[in-house]
Parts: sequence; C-alpha cells; structure tokens
Amino acid sequence: MTAARVRTWFLRAWVALVLGFLMLPVVVIALASLSRTSYLTVPPRGLTLHWFAQVLGDAEYLHAIGFSVVLALVATIGSLGAGVAASFALLRRRVAGGAGVAALLNAPLVFPGVVVGVALLQFYAMVHLNGSLVGLALAHMVITVPYVVRAVTASLQGIDPELEHAARVLGASGPVAFFTVTLPLIRPGVAAGALFSFIVSFDNVPVSIFLLGAGQMTLPVKIFTAIEYGVDPSIAAISTMLIVLTGLGLAVAERWIGFHRFV
Amino acid sequence: MTPGSGWRLLAPALLLLTVAFVVPVGMMVPTSVRPYVPLVGITGGFTARYYTRLLTDSYYLEIIGRTLALGLTVTCATLVIGYPVAFFLARTRSRWRSWLTILVVFPLMLNLVVRTFGWIALLAQNGLVNQALQALGVGPVKLLFNFAGLLIGLTHIFLPFMVLVLIGAIQNIPRDVEDAARVLGASWGSAFFRVTLPLSAPGILSGSILVFVLTISALVTPRLLGGPTYQVMSTLIYDEFLARLNWPAGSAQSLLLTAMVLALVYLSSRLARRTGARA
Repeated sequence: MTAARVRTWFLRAWVALVLGFLMLPVVVIALASLSRTSYLTVPPRGLTLHWFAQVLGDAEYLHAIGFSVVLALVATIGSLGAGVAASFALLRRRVAGGAGVAALLNAPLVFPGVVVGVALLQFYAMVHLNGSLVGLALAHMVITVPYVVRAVTASLQGIDPELEHAARVLGASGPVAFFTVTLPLIRPGVAAGALFSFIVSFDNVPVSIFLLGAGQMTLPVKIFTAIEYGVDPSIAAISTMLIVLTGLGLAVAERWIGFHRFV
Repeated sequence: MTPGSGWRLLAPALLLLTVAFVVPVGMMVPTSVRPYVPLVGITGGFTARYYTRLLTDSYYLEIIGRTLALGLTVTCATLVIGYPVAFFLARTRSRWRSWLTILVVFPLMLNLVVRTFGWIALLAQNGLVNQALQALGVGPVKLLFNFAGLLIGLTHIFLPFMVLVLIGAIQNIPRDVEDAARVLGASWGSAFFRVTLPLSAPGILSGSILVFVLTISALVTPRLLGGPTYQVMSTLIYDEFLARLNWPAGSAQSLLLTAMVLALVYLSSRLARRTGARA
C-alpha cells in the first residue's frame, strides 16, 4: 500500500504547487500595492495605503469604474432577457433548425474577441453608431449572451417540463406558468448566467478598446492603457481592489447557488 | 402553444446576433479586398494583395508561425500541468473539494488585465522571478517581450479552462472501470494509461481545442507581456486598425485568424463525433 500512499502525496503536492502557481500573480499584486516606493517592487519596501487613497481620489478612475458598472448592468439585463427566452425556446419548443441557432448563439464564445471588436468598429462607423453607448452595449450583449444561454440551459435541463404542463392544465396562461413555476425553479441558473455576464462585460478589453468614444472609458481599458504607459503601485492598488471584490463575489455566489457547478 | 412561439422567443437573441455580429463580420470580406492608399484611405477597386502578402511575406509568416507555436505549446503545458489537478479534483472525496475547485475558478473570474499585470511584476528584469534566480546564482533571464514570457503568462491564464473541462470528462468515467482493471491484475500505471487516460480522451480533445483557440485569439496578455514589438496575430490586427489605420489589411488578417479558429472548431467536432461513434 506504500506505493499508493506515495502516489497520493505526490498528487496532493502537485495540486498544491499548481494552485500556488495560479495564485502567485494575485499575491504579488496585493504585496506590490502596499509599497512606499513610487515604482513597482516586490516584496514591498515600507507599508502604506497611499496608493489606494490616490486611486480612490482620481476622478478618471472613478469615472471609469462607474461607466464599467453601468455598461455591465445594461449588457447583463439585455442578455438575460434575450438569453433566457432563447434557452427556453431551444429546450422546450420544437424549433426547426434549433441546432444551428444554438451554434450561432454560442459562436461568440470561440470567436476571437479582437475580430468582433474591429468588425464592429468598421460597421458602427458605417451606420453612425460609433462612440455610442447603444453600440457598446449591443457589442457587450453579443459576447455575454452565450454565458446566459449556457447557464440557463443547464438549469432548465434539470427540471421536469411536466411541472409547467400541470400549471397550464390548472388554468395558468403560458407567461403565468413560466414566471410562477419555471422561472423560480431555474433561479440558480439565471443567477449564475447574470453573474457570468456581468463579469465578462466588466472585464472586457478586446471589444471595448475599439468602440470607446470620446469621454468613454471602462476600467479594464483604463488599466490596460495605464500599464502600456508604465507600471506603478497605483495600478497594483486598483488591481488589489478588484481582486478583493472578485473574491468576495465568488465566495458569496458559491455559498448561495453553488457557483462552481455552472462553470 | 402556437408553433410560431418558439421563433418569437428566439427573435431578440437572433436579431442581436445578426445586427451586431454576423453582418459586421461579413462586412469585413468586401473591405479586405479594397486597396488602401496611405493619407487617402480606402479606395475603390479590387486587390488580393493583403492576402498574398499575409501568406508569402516572411514578416507575416513569422507572426503566424509564432501564434500557432504559442497555441501548441500553451495547449501542451496546460494539459500536462492541469491533468493531475483535474484528476485529483474529480476523484477526491475531501470536503474541501468545492472550495478547491473555486480556487481554480477564481483566477478565471479575476480581471484579465489584472492577472497579466501580476506577471509583469513577476517577470520583469528586476521582478520576483529574476530575484529568485539571482539568489540561486543564475544571472538575470529575459522573460518579457519574448516567447518565454508569453508562454508563461498565457499558460497561467488558460490553465483553469483546461482543468475545468478535464474535471468534467474524468468525472464521467465510472470508478468501477478502473477498479475492474486493477482486480484483473493491472498495475496502477497500466490501469491509468490503458483505461482512465483513453476514456478521458474526449475531454482532452475539447480542452485542447478550447485552449488552442483562446491562445491564438488572445490580445491583452500578448500585448502587455510582448510589448509593441513582439507581435502575434491579434496584436497585429490591433495595430493595423488603431495605429496604421489600414483597415483592408487588418480585415484580411482578421478573416485569416477567424478561418483558423473555425477550421479547428469544425475539425474537433468531426473528430469528437468519430471517437464518440467508436466508443
């Protein structure tokens, strides 16, 4: 049995090493954000929260955060509406060519983001949607709708269609049956889809960077361009805030809906 | 329940994808064959020069080759590093299982720019990795703006995808099959390599295709770790559209990248169907 135990411990050590590798940049950023130096250095020299104060007092960062949140909310609401309806239609209604529709809905998942970005840059210039919030929101809905469809479909597959039929037999109209029976049952899938959608939109660079108009700036594009100009601890500070928020959000989502089942 | 109700429900999603995805991407086809004249812009007429240049000029061929080489090495690296992790997470009965899985998911949910930024701090000339190497007596190694840097950064970014796909595949293999092989006298090694590993082949295939496709499409990480000089296909497209303003050339490059991605996805679905039929 000793060979089996050696294998088990070897496997555990490997898993620990890989998880450490995955967390390494996260830890490094958090440490770098605390340094007193004006340049990026790890381990930090001296400890200060100055960089956090600087970021939170920077009007450009605050504007970018606000803009990203609004954009992500608009995109999420839009792709939830379109995505929940589409998943329901594909799974519960017999639609000829449903497989093709499903493939189209999932296409943005594997499509290069940069191609979607430049295609829309050119198209919006032609139809005079360039630099508009509408155009940007539509672009973000395209890249977030597959995540909603995937999570909602997974949830829908787990519930019995007879429950909705029973509601219909008892006199509920189609929409009433959907909103009072089916929707509450697929709530975890809808919540996971919404969370995915928000994160994907909030994180996006390759599409946003081509479509932002004058006076528009999302947080990740702001950080991206800031890094291209040169790294300093204030970038580490805003990054650390995102790390903490993402961690908290994920922990809450895991306790609430068992988030890892939907990934 | 009218027959048309399915299409009515699909209408918003289909309209969205048509207007903001299918049509804009399709419009790049005519753009890619228009001649671009510097300081004038896109002119009328027809030219195939952006395609021929892309497929014959050594500058572009090197970038295409580098992009594919990165895709291949990152795929292999994530597979080798990730398989044991996925195997452990799929088979463990530990009560920490879901939280360990969340640790794999966490980097995936964390902003991509932030993750890449961490690697800049690690891989820079005076970064943590070089500090550690120097403490071991190895001179500073150049890890940014070259293949090594992109390989490390992209492997980190896409490892969670590979692990999550493999967990799903390994969970689908009944433990009994392995136990049966052991009972019939197979050593652990031959049970693993002749039973478990082949049965997880569909997961290995779909995980590999996913990571390969994501790697050759990646923009943010190659740009930040490779800088403006060490180009891959997506950063080339980025510069063509935003810096050189040569949209026809950029469209040709975009369509080539798209064709490569779609060909891979198509091939893998063919392959998956064939292995599925044989099993």
